[in-house]
Amino acid sequence: MRFAAMLFALAVSASAAIAQPFPQPLPPGAYPQGVLPTAPVVPLSVLQADLKTQSGTDTVRFQRESYVLDPTSQQVLARQAQWLLARPWIRANIEGHADGRLTRDYALALGERRAAAVRNFLLAQGVSPGQLNVVSWGRERPASAALHDASWLQNSRVVTVLKQAPQQQFGSEPLPQTDLPNYR
Amino acid sequence: MPDSKTKTLLALATATLTVLPTAAVAQDTLPVIAIPPVPTPRNVETDAGQTGVIGIQIADQIESDLRSSGDFMVIQRNTLKQYSPTEAGAPLYPNWTGTGASNLVTGYVQAREDGRLTIACYLYDLKQRREIARKGYVVDAKEWRRAAHRCADAFYERITGTAGFFDSTVAYVAETGTRTSPVKRLAIMNWDATDHRYLTQGESTVLSPRLSPDGEHIAYVSFSGGAPHVRIRSIDGDDDRALLPPSTISFAPRWSPDGRRILLSMAIDGNTDIYSVGLDGNYPQRLTSTPGVDTAASFSPDGSRIVFESDRSGRQQIYVMNSNGSGQQRISFGAAGYASPVWSPSGDRIAFTRSGGGKLQIGVMRTDGGEEKLLTDGWQDEVPVWAGGRTVLFQRTDPQSLHAAIYSVPITGGQPKRLTTPQPGSDPAWSGGSE
Repeated sequence: MRFAAMLFALAVSASAAIAQPFPQPLPPGAYPQGVLPTAPVVPLSVLQADLKTQSGTDTVRFQRESYVLDPTSQQVLARQAQWLLARPWIRANIEGHADGRLTRDYALALGERRAAAVRNFLLAQGVSPGQLNVVSWGRERPASAALHDASWLQNSRVVTVLKQAPQQQFGSEPLPQTDLPNYR
Repeated sequence: MPDSKTKTLLALATATLTVLPTAAVAQDTLPVIAIPPVPTPRNVETDAGQTGVIGIQIADQIESDLRSSGDFMVIQRNTLKQYSPTEAGAPLYPNWTGTGASNLVTGYVQAREDGRLTIACYLYDLKQRREIARKGYVVDAKEWRRAAHRCADAFYERITGTAGFFDSTVAYVAETGTRTSPVKRLAIMNWDATDHRYLTQGESTVLSPRLSPDGEHIAYVSFSGGAPHVRIRSIDGDDDRALLPPSTISFAPRWSPDGRRILLSMAIDGNTDIYSVGLDGNYPQRLTSTPGVDTAASFSPDGSRIVFESDRSGRQQIYVMNSNGSGQQRISFGAAGYASPVWSPSGDRIAFTRSGGGKLQIGVMRTDGGEEKLLTDGWQDEVPVWAGGRTVLFQRTDPQSLHAAIYSVPITGGQPKRLTTPQPGSDPAWSGGSE
């Protein structure tokens, strides 16, 4: 029975491995030397859900036209920093947004300013700069479909979005083994 | 002299009274135009087909242009008589007065020895029975459509008093998908929505197209690869490249008048500043250095000055500076926010977006900030660009559907008019035209 369970687990992790998009296709026959087949692969969605659970949320919100992190946001980001510090191989996009009643260029600038405020807070908590990448969506990806005043707070936000770490390439050092969350 | 003063006032009042009703009537009863097929003296095969067919296509094009403006009614072609090329310059008025048309368009197309075409067009006032405009062009056979556009431009200006833009192209962003997951494609078309093409296929969000002065390239913002950055692509070819190294957040591109440099904004560590960059991406020159947001820069027509917006005062306001960044000076001082300024081709005006009172509106002001005048009264009107020296294109968002569309408005005032696009559209850019 234990052997069968192990086989099943292997099959699951293998199919998960196949489901991961490779940045570049591996040359034929290079698979055994390429991605380490024994390394457990956890889908980004599972990691993102874990970040949300452990930090309370992956999103911090702002007053309109402000980029100041309020105490609640700082608590959330401190927990996000803990999560990222424990998983130094994981990378994240810090994606800043602004509301749709600001002009397009200003919204892009404000989105970057908010994302930079979040990035700087996380860096101050010890997160490695190499883990974080600042992105501004300006007003181009509203969280709420409404464009009216009530949507300002919803759309004035920064979201920490985990992204695909660079895949192990042929001949490079193995990925660090670390305490991944339980994968079921 | 109180008497003469009173008289002047009375005369003014009478003038106003007499002008207003006619203006109101003019809006209700549009000019009705008859555009019969344009004849050819001899049907000759050319690079662009037979001259007889080209004549019909020229009539089609002039009709399409004038219709697209929404300022005219055009009489059904098949109810109209044919005429000979010699009648083009001397119409038999009785043939046309019964059609109900107020104006008649005639012309002819003739193949020349050198393979090119002579294209002539005339506009008549049928009530006064006289010619009121004429144009003649010698063009390569394949260029017949531009001659037709220019005829329509001239006729439009003659009747409405405002310049026509039919011989010009408009680039914009075609919007589909949902608000939270929009699909945006770069698109380009003639003013009358003919020859519509998509330059990107929606795989990445794109913004802010700007046509180069020679009309061959387009600068725009793309989110390909994740973060917004300025790219340059050719309109007819496949050439498409990032202007700056990867991972630089850049936006708000604008061409220099000579087409050799791009003004843009770079956002670095929470600070957005304006840079001038060579077309090869080399020698970025930083023009602003305040800790706030400096963005939306636009050259004056001679390239010596730059207008831009900054929130260094605490709110978005408009500033001007020399093209090397020196002499920065605030020019807008209203209680509202002022954004996205654009210098007019004539050099004496700046169009802008004003935000205040729960609205975004388009306005113009002098380059020293004087004579501020609002042109629109929509709920969200923004992204002004000049089409010639007297007309501004902009993007209007409907408060109910939240769909955006492109409108034009003359700076002398008047109702904004919607440009025809196949889908909702935003971020207009204009190529330059007949002027």
